[in-house]
Amino acid sequence: MILKTEGLTKHFGGLTAVNEVDLRVEEGVIHSIIGPNGAGKTTLFNLLTGELPVSAGEIYFREKRITGLKPNQIVRARIGRSFQQNKIFKNLTVLENVRLAVHAHHRGHFDLLHHFLSFTAPVEQAWGILEELGITGIAAKNAGELPHGQQRTLEVALALAADPLLLLLDEPTSGMSPDDSVKMIRLLKKLGQRLTMVVIEHNMNLVMSISSVITVLQQGTIIASGSPSEIEQDKAVREAYLGGQA
Amino acid sequence: MIEAALGKKKPLADREIWILAGLLLFLPFVLPYQSLPSEILIYALGAVSFNILMGFTGLLSFGQGALFGAGAYMTGLIMVNLGWHPLLALLCACLIGAVTAFLVGYFSIRQVGIYFVMLTLAFNQLAFFIVYQWKGLTGGDDGLLEVPRPDLTLFPGVEIPIQTNFQFFLFVWVVFILAFIVIRRIINSPFGRILVAVKENPERATAVGYNIKHYKLAAFVISGFFTGLAGGLYALFMKMVPITAVELFTSTDFIIMSLLGGLGSLYGPILGAIIVKIASEILSEIWARWLFVLGLTFIVFVLFMRGGVWGLLTAIRDKRRAARLVEEKRQ
Repeated sequence: MILKTEGLTKHFGGLTAVNEVDLRVEEGVIHSIIGPNGAGKTTLFNLLTGELPVSAGEIYFREKRITGLKPNQIVRARIGRSFQQNKIFKNLTVLENVRLAVHAHHRGHFDLLHHFLSFTAPVEQAWGILEELGITGIAAKNAGELPHGQQRTLEVALALAADPLLLLLDEPTSGMSPDDSVKMIRLLKKLGQRLTMVVIEHNMNLVMSISSVITVLQQGTIIASGSPSEIEQDKAVREAYLGGQA
Repeated sequence: MIEAALGKKKPLADREIWILAGLLLFLPFVLPYQSLPSEILIYALGAVSFNILMGFTGLLSFGQGALFGAGAYMTGLIMVNLGWHPLLALLCACLIGAVTAFLVGYFSIRQVGIYFVMLTLAFNQLAFFIVYQWKGLTGGDDGLLEVPRPDLTLFPGVEIPIQTNFQFFLFVWVVFILAFIVIRRIINSPFGRILVAVKENPERATAVGYNIKHYKLAAFVISGFFTGLAGGLYALFMKMVPITAVELFTSTDFIIMSLLGGLGSLYGPILGAIIVKIASEILSEIWARWLFVLGLTFIVFVLFMRGGVWGLLTAIRDKRRAARLVEEKRQ
């Protein structure tokens, strides 16, 4: 088990956004988290990555307790994360975006007296990530000028910079055209062969085609967890989430 | 492709630096007032240092006057009371600037946006009133008078005179170019690139693994180091320290120079300092309300030319280049 939460809870004032969640993520799987809007999916991610402090409960990553660590500490434990809204360095080139993200895991952050290109390892590693994602062609473009689909891919590239053992992707296909979505699905399948992934998604095609485990959240609580076929047939899920369509 | 995306590795001093040094050396020969060139370079150093915070880290500090003042009073007090070597007095100015910046930064970066700005402004006022009240040490309202400016003894027997306007200018010029080379390298270092990441998207910078508070604080300390140096030079230049050195107006001077010249590049603030200082000397003689013109120009730049004069120049150059390329393709 690579990631485990115990009784993970987040209150916002009187509202309980995440309620005693016991999440279990097995190593090497693509694990999707689905649920209606406001089910607490992104809040759950923000707790896992330290973006928000937890109200109660514990988080363990590879048996180690990571509850209460800051985002910059958690990413160094090799948990990569992409955001639902693109958070990229808009005025920098694509390669520089990724190089900066990679350099966080190399030495020399406070080196003032060498040129940054003297550090070749981060450049090579960043280039490798662009190659894996098939976006070397846009390496010299300013990130802010890219079409939305390519910015989403850059989001994934930034998450990969941590050389992650666990990749958390928040709606990787959000706002994408059907064509771009297909490409992204292919990409995620490829990454899934070497990484454990937890993916928040609304796109049911994607969820059903790539996941080996699906967890369903509703109002901050896990109401079901299992393989895609189990989830499809789960009564509680059909009532709560799939609603009238089922 | 990698070079197109990341640029070329720049050596410490390259053609850019030599051109800059050469152009600045012309100042005493084209300006009507002989003390103006030194003053320009001193303010340019302050503006470039401010730009480390504003242009590269995204921190609008109104506290630069406190750092400049700290350096000026430190050098002035050392020269008046202890009579140390001027270079040692300048080094102390750098250090007090860095320490002051650490204090201002340590408390200010706990806030962001307007609250951060107001804190830096409050610290500047605090510094002003400390200087104002501590009359016995600083001379208060009258300023610190009769700061000596002895010649520079490099080795026993080898003395470099810095008495005339031109001699002192050469000294300031050397210090400025050396400081600028170091600042440029810092901006191009891994650290400097992280500062840009902090400015561009603080949330993402944190998410990829950087503790942005450390970088903001370090940017303050570095800015303080060089602003303190500018302050120290100012004390030697004036042969006194006027209380205006630590005023809020000094902070706003650096801000206006940087914005006018262009925040996006290292060279913009130098250009801004040249323009503002020359304009203030010439316009103030013609018309006492010249600040009105400066204010108006400032508004125009903030509204319509965010890149400043430097941004305008590079835009024109890029346009010409593009036009030439099109022309070549046609043939």
